[in-house]
Amino acid sequence: MKEVELDCLGEACPIPLVKAENKLKEMEIGDVLIVQIDHSCAMKNVPEWARKEGHNVEVEEIDDGEWEIIIEKVK
Amino acid sequence: MDEQKTTGIQRSSTRTKRVRKKKKNQLPFGIAVLVLAIIFGILLGTKNQGMPIFWITGLAFGYILQRSRFCFTASMRDPFLTGSTSLTRTVLTAFAITTIGFAAIKYGAFIKGLPIPGQSYVVPISFATAAGAFMFGVGMVIAGGCASGTLMRVGEGFTMQILSLFFFIIGSLWGAHDFGWWKLNVILKGKAVFLPDVFGWIGAVIIQLLIIAMLWIAADKWENRKNLT
Repeated sequence: MKEVELDCLGEACPIPLVKAENKLKEMEIGDVLIVQIDHSCAMKNVPEWARKEGHNVEVEEIDDGEWEIIIEKVK
Repeated sequence: MDEQKTTGIQRSSTRTKRVRKKKKNQLPFGIAVLVLAIIFGILLGTKNQGMPIFWITGLAFGYILQRSRFCFTASMRDPFLTGSTSLTRTVLTAFAITTIGFAAIKYGAFIKGLPIPGQSYVVPISFATAAGAFMFGVGMVIAGGCASGTLMRVGEGFTMQILSLFFFIIGSLWGAHDFGWWKLNVILKGKAVFLPDVFGWIGAVIIQLLIIAMLWIAADKWENRKNLT
């Protein structure tokens, strides 16, 4: 199992989403992608997209206004 | 939105052991800001009776916008980018509610024989509407927010959008500078349509709600179509 961090701090929506989409494509099933964001809009649309794709998603607020979206690729 | 403290997804040990910064308690700041907001509201009230209402409405609008992660940009962008139309349908629902509300305000003034408020916003539709909408759409997706979204995120402390706000102001000033030309050469050549003049008051509300309902159904179909593939 690989774990990849994707630094999207300071990036406005929809950049984190597009980056996460591209990164997840090149990853293997079972790998975990951690997207770090500080744009509140990405906090909504990244998990929404990943859940719709059927992946396991968790959101963690690591600091005020900073989140980590943990996506486990399942298919 | 489920924000969990512990994660169920298996993560490597190096990460989970990482020491987290202890979050500062923001409650004192919140109370201080609330007190300042109330004092400022009272001061506004001494200058002008109507101002506190604008102040309260503005604060409420900003608060709801921020907490609900409402985003007009995303409502127009996500259907193309991710196939998600949840925000699109939210915006359409908001339009439906305001349609009824505004129709009620306008009709209320109309039956009392008073001048109908907001009629100066009934302006001709023309090529300028489409051109402006297109440019605004390109701009807001690049900038990461429309007018309200940009203001909200500047308030959140998102540095990049302070830049957006700066150029948003420059763009608005430029637009205001050239507006006379657009008005004279393009806008006035169009036709102004006030729906109640054409369909009657009830008809206008029904037709507008039907169009919104059709868009809502189309948005719902679009999202589910993407799910199947």
